[in-house]
Amino acid sequence: MRRPLRAAVRLVPLLLLVAAATMPLSAAELAISPIHYRERTLANGLQVISARDPGSPTVTVQVWYHVGSKDDPAGRSGFAHLFEHLMFKSTAHMHAEEMDRLTEDVGGANNASTGDDITNYFEVIPSNYLRTLLWAEAERLSNLKVDEKNFTSERAVVEEEYRQSVLANPYGKLFNAIDPHSYTVHPYRRPTIGSIADLEAASLADVIAFHKTFYRPDNATLIVAGDFDPKQLDAWVDQYFGWIPKPATPVPQVTAQEPARTTDKRYTETSPTAPLPGIAMTWLIPPAPSGDTIPLQVAAALLSQGDSSRLYQALVYRSQIAQQVGADVDARMGPGLFTAYAILASGHQPAEAERVLREQIARLADQPIPPAELAKVKTQLLTRALEQRQTPMGLAFALGQAALTEGDPARVNTDLAALQKVTGDDVQRVLRKYVTGAHSVTIDYLPQPEAAPANRQGATK
Amino acid sequence: MSRAIQSLVTAALLVAALASPAGAADFPRTPPAPGPAPTLHVPTPVRQTLPNGLAVISVRRAELPLVTARLLIRRGGEMDPAGRAGLANLTANLLTKGTVGRTAPQIAADAEALGGSLDAYAGWDQSSVGITVTSPKLDAALALLADVVRRPTFPADELARARKQAADDLQLMLSQPTSLASLASARAVFGDGAYGHPRVGTPQSLGQITRADVQRLHQTLYRPDDAILVLTGDITPAQALALARRRFGDWVRPAAPLPPVPAPAGHSALPAVLVIDQPGGGQAGVVAAHVAPARDDPRFYVGTVANAVLGGSYSARLNEEIRIKRGLSYGANSSFDPRRDAGLWLASAQTKNPSAVQVVQLMQGEFDRLGTTAVPAAELAARKATLIGAYGRSLETTAGLARRVGELAVYGVDLGEVARYVDAVQAVTPAQIEAYAHAYLGARARHVVVVGDASVFGAAMRKAYPGSVQIGRQALDLDRADLRAAGQPAR
Repeated sequence: MRRPLRAAVRLVPLLLLVAAATMPLSAAELAISPIHYRERTLANGLQVISARDPGSPTVTVQVWYHVGSKDDPAGRSGFAHLFEHLMFKSTAHMHAEEMDRLTEDVGGANNASTGDDITNYFEVIPSNYLRTLLWAEAERLSNLKVDEKNFTSERAVVEEEYRQSVLANPYGKLFNAIDPHSYTVHPYRRPTIGSIADLEAASLADVIAFHKTFYRPDNATLIVAGDFDPKQLDAWVDQYFGWIPKPATPVPQVTAQEPARTTDKRYTETSPTAPLPGIAMTWLIPPAPSGDTIPLQVAAALLSQGDSSRLYQALVYRSQIAQQVGADVDARMGPGLFTAYAILASGHQPAEAERVLREQIARLADQPIPPAELAKVKTQLLTRALEQRQTPMGLAFALGQAALTEGDPARVNTDLAALQKVTGDDVQRVLRKYVTGAHSVTIDYLPQPEAAPANRQGATK
Repeated sequence: MSRAIQSLVTAALLVAALASPAGAADFPRTPPAPGPAPTLHVPTPVRQTLPNGLAVISVRRAELPLVTARLLIRRGGEMDPAGRAGLANLTANLLTKGTVGRTAPQIAADAEALGGSLDAYAGWDQSSVGITVTSPKLDAALALLADVVRRPTFPADELARARKQAADDLQLMLSQPTSLASLASARAVFGDGAYGHPRVGTPQSLGQITRADVQRLHQTLYRPDDAILVLTGDITPAQALALARRRFGDWVRPAAPLPPVPAPAGHSALPAVLVIDQPGGGQAGVVAAHVAPARDDPRFYVGTVANAVLGGSYSARLNEEIRIKRGLSYGANSSFDPRRDAGLWLASAQTKNPSAVQVVQLMQGEFDRLGTTAVPAAELAARKATLIGAYGRSLETTAGLARRVGELAVYGVDLGEVARYVDAVQAVTPAQIEAYAHAYLGARARHVVVVGDASVFGAAMRKAYPGSVQIGRQALDLDRADLRAAGQPAR
């Protein structure tokens, strides 16, 4: 994420983005129109997806690259994310921060984010700036030209981002430890934010090589949503992106296979500033395009979406063991994670939370799920999908997630059909297969305040 | 080294260009100019009033079958009695934890079966409960909203649970350097006045709040003649009025007058620069705060634009100086928060502990510059555009629209203001900003608070600011205007 000033945008979980093809919501109360999108591919391999929303005076231009922290070079964890920041520096025809001049200064906004598999860059601007931003995205795809000074100062910013999200955030070290402990072989084991040592080892030569390797038209998807004329859009896209050559070499692909877990594992992390203990557990799940992803999402929603969810009721409300709980499906292009976590309430320890978390998951997997509870989570997910569609940015994110993580933009309209068909048996089958019948990784998180030496405060007197 | 690498890039680009010479040559070297600007359509709010005094404000946007409903009470944390910091917030939170006919788990289940969730909290000048649902669920959602606002039972076990949760949340907040620095800076600015206390409570105050306190606050402040129902999205004014009558029409207006509002600001006992030591803290949180004029001050838009220049966006001055030019932080920003009886300016940034002093100096420098130099025309135009663009986008969702309209209504501002925002921002001049900053944002009225590992930067801070005072994180008492727990001298 390039900038923290905005509402946080991350690559949101799959089901928040689903939409239906005129799908009746329970008892035919509501019909939802499908997203009418257009898709085409240029001769150089660039995929272009667009959807009109003429109600808005704005348009969003986004480029989603099929590259993420799983592609960080060896010994350079955090590099894909550092690179994302550098895409806002100079190019052949734009000076550093000119993207801000073309967006913020004319009433727009921009940001970018890096995930395990995907790096996306997105702007929203008054719709008369569509052509300008198409040019600017083509420019940084084809003509990036970062200098040493920009590189050094932006690397320092990313190191502050690391300190802010991992060190100064009391639970940052817990969530940052999930990937390293959850994978043994796959490069997903490297945290996206990287480490200070690896960031310090990165050089300008790495930047040039990374751009050349991954930032190419056949490794990108351009998404445009909002107020635009489709014919005009096609002409501008052809003009600004069409000339960019497709390299002869193939895009490198991660081929590592994460083996199935053979035992449960347990780790401990400590924090000098966390006021209360925490616990996180993970299980491996199949890649996002799998038909099992949506039943797993429904399972996670039953467990933790809202105050009426099972984990909130059991851990926060009834036993008051925890202050916060969550269950999440982190579906990726490769093996993903089903995650359950708790931040403990004062006076409680991780083992208590673990026992109840496991009990609740087992109960969901093994005892009948009331139909009304299943209907509730479907209504919640549909409402959130509709809320997301209110803005061009939300529409484009739904399309990008479907096209890249799930591998097909049509999923934006078919996933909800799949959601409506999920049964209690589906939920139980996937939970037993991937969670209760598989092996967990558990991370205990313990406060460990730094002792203040007796003369500590006196030293500054 | 860097030059050699750049020539490699140039070579690669040359090769690439040769592969398709015609297209590359056609690629413009400067950004294409924009076309004619689109117009921002701002929907019109309609205000109606029930006989019991309840204001019903609706804004129609029917593109998607969604509606946001929010019930606002025009009083909030400012009304917390002495020693009961957090009472208004706890009361709002407890609305959803039990009514005459429903337990807390039933309320949550009912709201979530409608596809939304009830979101209840107290700000400084308002308490509110809201929900966003698809339009067929609106009537049921309003029935639930009316139930929690009008018939809460505040069960004793729910109060105990909410107090404990609020105390744990507070611990979490106090462990984050910028959150703690912001709370301390409010004490520095407002002292023992109403806006000085933590709205979320303190470890001591939360323990003292009783069920009688909560019931009294609800009885006194939750009344139709000081309440506003906002409905935005797929709903007509006629539907809004009919639904409001049905769920709130028999809500009785009490005869007693509204209680007076306490003084917003009082005696401040804190130094210009305060350091709170957090041993092992991963970063230093730096904030600088000033008192601001109230929401009804005629210079509201001057303050709004001044904040856009100082720290309201990525390209604003604080981020430009602290992050973009020097790489000292992931982000530096400011906020302008005008309230009913006074307001707060707050600038903040987190930085590595060794650069805490430098960030304090840069932040001070930017406040000073605003009051001593006119903002250049090009910069001002850019920051106004940023502000106006963000405003337009904030109206795109039903929830955002409800927030904007609700804010105007809470402060008694004419709802037509929603459409006048753009012109009002455009009218602000550099001279107005300079005069405003000179009046309100000068060094003598500034309070800086730094929370971090003082073993790293404490000595340097003392040297740069000889009048600065350092206290330990454990010695902090947010219930006191001087922040010092009894028997805990400053170092």
